[in-house]
Amino acid sequence: MRKRLGLNSTRWALAFDTRKCINCKACVVACKAENGVPMGKFRNRINEERGGHYPHLRASFEPEQCHHCGSPSCVRVCPTGASYQREDGLVLVRTEDCIGCGYCIIACPYDARFFNPETRVVDKCTMCAHRVDAGREPACVETCPSRVRTFGNLDDPASELRRLLDSRRAYVKKPQTGNDPQGWYLV
Amino acid sequence: MPEPRWGWLIVLYLFLGGLSAGLFFVSALATYLQRGEGTAFPRLARAGALLAPWPVSLGSALLVFDLGHWYRFYKLFITFEWRSPMSIGAWLLLLFTGITLLAFWAWLPADRLGAALAKLPRRLRFLRWIDRSWREGLRRPLAMVGFPVAVGVGIYTGVLLGAVQARPFWNTNLVAQMFLFSALSTGCALLILVLSLRRAGLEAGEARLLFSLDIVWILLELFVVLPYIIHGALSPLAVQEALRLILGGPFTWAFWGWFFTLGLLLPLGLELWELRPVLLARQELHPGRGMAAAAAVLVLFGGLMLRYVFVFAGQVSAFQ
Repeated sequence: MRKRLGLNSTRWALAFDTRKCINCKACVVACKAENGVPMGKFRNRINEERGGHYPHLRASFEPEQCHHCGSPSCVRVCPTGASYQREDGLVLVRTEDCIGCGYCIIACPYDARFFNPETRVVDKCTMCAHRVDAGREPACVETCPSRVRTFGNLDDPASELRRLLDSRRAYVKKPQTGNDPQGWYLV
Repeated sequence: MPEPRWGWLIVLYLFLGGLSAGLFFVSALATYLQRGEGTAFPRLARAGALLAPWPVSLGSALLVFDLGHWYRFYKLFITFEWRSPMSIGAWLLLLFTGITLLAFWAWLPADRLGAALAKLPRRLRFLRWIDRSWREGLRRPLAMVGFPVAVGVGIYTGVLLGAVQARPFWNTNLVAQMFLFSALSTGCALLILVLSLRRAGLEAGEARLLFSLDIVWILLELFVVLPYIIHGALSPLAVQEALRLILGGPFTWAFWGWFFTLGLLLPLGLELWELRPVLLARQELHPGRGMAAAAAVLVLFGGLMLRYVFVFAGQVSAFQ
């Protein structure tokens, strides 16, 4: 709304420069430590792909988590309104309103949500909303040693994220589901 | 998807919800069919109405216990999220269960109810209130109001799955029709089963109606399943890959063996065989108890298998 009115607006998003990823999983660990994610469950992950034939081999690593979609199917299917999207684009869950039906887990094309066995409700990446609101970066972004991740405001022309996406080609994953994902993978 | 979030409880619920929708539909239809002055199939209408509330109630209980916090189910009923099929479905279920319970009350046999109430201890005498003479007047209005709601419940179970873009195995409107016809067919089958197991057995007229209805529904289901396969095979790659789950993949046997052959084609054949005196010559139908019961059990089994395949295979399917 603010955007349409020409006011200063915020649209948080993440870009990944996957060629820099060394699969150290510091982002995964930082997320778990920051958010107290239970054992065996993860809010972010690194997809690994290995291929080729000896001696021509390749290994590619691609971090993935909630894409904080522009048109999130998880929010649409939620029967109680517990899943919601903020004005700044972050897709969050009001845990006290979540009944744990699991519909959003199934409706997410990115398998970004999971059932938290401790809280017995759905759990997901919050983009560290508590840090972002305090003016800090998400834990995964701050910790990444090879600087794969760039977090920023898509609507701010001066942001590092905007500059990256303006100057380099980037793609989003599975756009055909119509979710308008906002996790940008730099080419 | 690492592990399926929805398991057998959901499979059973989808089956039981559909079963009640089918039972109520047949009961409501039988309430309206006239022969002379009276209802043509009072036994069918009564049996359907007396059975209808219980599968859906049991199914709803299963649903509630599948939640992370079962006691939070009330949160479904303090909101209405019009874009969420589950929210629409929860309200539909509530409405439908209410209607089926009212119909149950309206169809309770007066003599038995009176006898049962007379035996109540003094403290429970107030329950006699439920024996109202105007109960019978509610039967037709309830049937009328209940028709669309029953169809809604039958179809919504399929919409619940179909409205998920992320799962190509589900993401077609054909799933909704498939589940609806399967629901109507299983409801019909349970009535065939229950009535054929009673001492009096199925009357020729009842058998004729139930078999005809079930044959029509099985055929409709068949002609939704086949287009589903054909359409899927001619769809974008993700849908073709999803379809491979039942075309050579891990759900092939469950789909083609248990559901399609045992649960759809075989009962169709049995019911056509039972109905052949009527179909081929204008002869009197003599329903065989065993054959009718066998066909009904197969239809019920097929309905359960259909839900099993769709719930589990759908969660595995994904865009690459």
